[in-house]
Amino acid sequence: MVQAAISMRILHLGKLKPLPEKVACPLFSKSGLSLFFPFFILLLAFSLPLQAYIGPGAGFAFLSSFFILFLTFFLALFSFFSWPFRFLLRVIKGQRAYKKSSINRFIIIGLDGLEPTLVEKYMSEGKLPNFSKLKKRGTYAKLQTTIPSISPVAWSSFMTGSNPSKHNIFDFLSRDPKTYLPDLSSARIGKPKKTLSLGKYNIPLSKPEIKGLRKSIPFWKILGQKGIFSTILRVPITFPPEKFNGHLLSGMCTPDLQGSQGTFSFYTSDKERIKKREGGMNIPVTLNGDKIETYISGPENTLLHNDEEIRLPLRISIDKNKEEALLEVSGQKFKLGKHTFSEWKKLTFRPGLGIKIRAICRFYISQIQPHFEMYLTPLNLDPEKPALPISHPFIYSVYLAKLLGSFITLGEANDTWALNEGVLSEEAFLELTYSNHEEWENMLFNAMHKTKKGLITCVFETTDSIQHMFWRYLDESHPALESGQAKMSAKVIEDLYQKMDGLVGKVLGKTDEKDVVIIMSDHGFKSFRRGVNLNSWLYLNGYLSLKEGKKGSDEWFKDVDWEHTKAYALGLGGVYINQKGREAKGTIHAGEETKGLKRELIRKLDGLKDEERNSVAINKVFDRDELPSGPYLDNCPDLVVGYNEGYRISWDSVTGKVNNLVFEDNIKAWSGDHCIDPRIVPGIFFCSEKINTKNPSIMDIAPTALELFGLQVPSHMDGLALLDAQNFSLDKNRKEEKK
Amino acid sequence: MMWIFNSVFGKIFDFIFFLFRSMNPWIGMILISVLTALLMLFVFRFTSNQEGIKRVKNKIKAHLLELRLFKDSMSLSFKAQGNILRYNLRYISYSTKPMLVMIIPLILILIQLNFWFGYEALTPGQETILKVKLEEGHNPLDIDISLEPSSGFDIQTPPLRIEEEREINWRLQAREKGVHDLTFIVNGQKFTKKVSVAQRPLSKISPLKVKRNFINELINPGESPFPGDSPIKAIEVKYQSKDMNLFGWSIPWLFGIPPWLVVYFALSIILGFVLKGIFKVQI
Repeated sequence: MVQAAISMRILHLGKLKPLPEKVACPLFSKSGLSLFFPFFILLLAFSLPLQAYIGPGAGFAFLSSFFILFLTFFLALFSFFSWPFRFLLRVIKGQRAYKKSSINRFIIIGLDGLEPTLVEKYMSEGKLPNFSKLKKRGTYAKLQTTIPSISPVAWSSFMTGSNPSKHNIFDFLSRDPKTYLPDLSSARIGKPKKTLSLGKYNIPLSKPEIKGLRKSIPFWKILGQKGIFSTILRVPITFPPEKFNGHLLSGMCTPDLQGSQGTFSFYTSDKERIKKREGGMNIPVTLNGDKIETYISGPENTLLHNDEEIRLPLRISIDKNKEEALLEVSGQKFKLGKHTFSEWKKLTFRPGLGIKIRAICRFYISQIQPHFEMYLTPLNLDPEKPALPISHPFIYSVYLAKLLGSFITLGEANDTWALNEGVLSEEAFLELTYSNHEEWENMLFNAMHKTKKGLITCVFETTDSIQHMFWRYLDESHPALESGQAKMSAKVIEDLYQKMDGLVGKVLGKTDEKDVVIIMSDHGFKSFRRGVNLNSWLYLNGYLSLKEGKKGSDEWFKDVDWEHTKAYALGLGGVYINQKGREAKGTIHAGEETKGLKRELIRKLDGLKDEERNSVAINKVFDRDELPSGPYLDNCPDLVVGYNEGYRISWDSVTGKVNNLVFEDNIKAWSGDHCIDPRIVPGIFFCSEKINTKNPSIMDIAPTALELFGLQVPSHMDGLALLDAQNFSLDKNRKEEKK
Repeated sequence: MMWIFNSVFGKIFDFIFFLFRSMNPWIGMILISVLTALLMLFVFRFTSNQEGIKRVKNKIKAHLLELRLFKDSMSLSFKAQGNILRYNLRYISYSTKPMLVMIIPLILILIQLNFWFGYEALTPGQETILKVKLEEGHNPLDIDISLEPSSGFDIQTPPLRIEEEREINWRLQAREKGVHDLTFIVNGQKFTKKVSVAQRPLSKISPLKVKRNFINELINPGESPFPGDSPIKAIEVKYQSKDMNLFGWSIPWLFGIPPWLVVYFALSIILGFVLKGIFKVQI
């Protein structure tokens, strides 16, 4: 009433025209009581007129927050209302997932290279209670591996349920018959096909070619076609990731940012430590006072016509008293003490044109005085912004990194070469390896927590890496014990097995009676005391010729005379016939001549004796033509060599070096191996249920998964289901267990 | 004391806008928005738990991705939403400290900006209302008050005395460009109030002059306050709000918030987000 009266009286001022509606008022009038963005609601809850003033401050602080709230709200609504439609769509598509399934979850834990004899020994000593529990409850058996017994081959057979001749992976390396040079067997990463030349730049107009070379279909893809969800973590030969109904993080063979399988950097001010390195590069540094100006060696700049390495400046300020250093790189500054691994650090490489290539890495200072020495991990693809696809869907790696923190993405994650080369100490290697392992465990348990029905598979390469590098402590006669780093003991391996037992216990603790658990390894392990240089043997026996005047050949057959060579060895177990029409400078005709040569080589190599040690070095040579057939058998080496325990192909032979020495001691820390006669390195197989055979094969896992989820096993699979779904009753097994 | 502070603070803004007074007000607005964004980033950088914010933002993003990755599972979707809300609360808690630190400077900044961007100066010939608000105990019907004539404006009406509101109003018409002093004689005492007519595109306009009092002076620092024993509580000149015109589009009031404030809110926040990467600040 009073307000109305005042208005009337103002109008009585006669000619006074009403002011426009939007006359600005002093600030304490009405604007403070208004709504602008939803975040003001909170502010408006206060009665002070000043609240109008805190808008930007509050906005700055709360805008993201309220945006998230609203986004969440709308996503919740969308999720809620669209769910019936999505469900209907799945029904229409015939994806009646789990309708015929005998189980809720099938959990497969791969412990790469876990050795049956050690598992049995430690179980008998009561050191592996969870493995023992699983054996008692269900099944323990040795698992037949593939020919050859190499991880990429075995895991490819695991996922496809078929022999190598059907999935096309026969080794880590394959060879290009035109050049006799090695290729990665599992994937090919090429340059973009279309580019635009602009000044110094070569601008890509298409995506780089990233092609997986493994053939056949992984069983999780078949499950996905029927609507059964899978989470696949770090299974070897899953790079590049394939589309399917589920989540996948690529494992072994995922490259680093430099396109290699892992190239570490070793910074040293000690000139005597500069030498040729197999798995990494030396970066010599000079101390200027307490400062070092150096760089991080990045990927090649493919944007330029003349590819050149992209480098990031790295400044190191050393505090000798505190035994630490201040590192400045890629806009970051951080202190790092001696013998401490840094957290994952993000690096950004800028090749030009505003493009950024992201990587993550960890630093480790091994020595400050008298010489500065620092190890830098290979540059891993940043899982939050990967330069190459490393997961399916693409956002899966982003999700894992956001949820659990940055993690190693490199396929060959554990830097065995850094230990081999003495760049990392044994302790540092173990610390780094177990740190990687922890990241994978976190991913596994996150997947288990989120998956109520479906398949979960996670492969840990921790077991493989540590056994490769520490097996010598189990073998008192190992030559490597007398040279290089040998400060630790067999306890390292025992600890490893006990840690894996702990992992098994945690997994079992998160399962129930509707889950089936398999713990398996793709192959076992044996000592690698002596290397066999097959190329030298072929040379000394007249099958491989060198160029005139040469008494040996450098890497990759540099001095080999191909026009007079009949056979050569490449990779970890293969011998190839230098065949006419197939190899660029072939000398042996296909057909009878090849067969005859193979017979001759088999006759000579089978039972090849190491006279120095009075021991058989080669148990058996497998003829490709006698291996199970398949569409890709032609890509298999002509002969696959099965070495005896204690032997393996020598380091030099793998890389195509030829000399006069056939047998040599292996003095590297890499002292255990499995690239031998597959019959003496079976894997382990534990299952929470009883199985229908005493001799399971790694190829049986895929059909078993399909059977358990009620799907038909495709005829191309060579494996057989280990559990018969029709007769399979979890309840029945449980009752038997209780009895 | 407060007036000294206001004078100094006001001078800073006079200095900031000195070169931009003859230019389009948008230039001044962008400048002050950049400065505000930088100030806010600075405060955030040094008062907040940057690592905590980064961690909690990553968790929120992860659970948002979870909604997409596990879209077929209702229970997981709801759990993810629950987690988003949980981490959002933590994020808000991390943001509270810098926000509290920022409130005071921002209040002061906004008060000043209101003078520069809140009002349009009168134009010659334009009419306005002049209000004199009296203190309690003074009756507008009894008080001896007069408004002295000036060359800058015409007094169009005799004083209208509103007893219930303790208010006396005049209607004025601006005549000449410039900043003019209105002079009142109240019970023989002289009081003044500035009136702006047709200033530069960006000029400082004080619509209200108040009596000495901490809060009053804080909010209305444009002119020196009346003495504490003054019978006048406040003198107000009604100005039109300043129009913020963007390529011919006049930015409207938004839920009662004036256009300049809308623009300032938006620009300072956007610029803050744009610049955060350069200064490596987590917000």
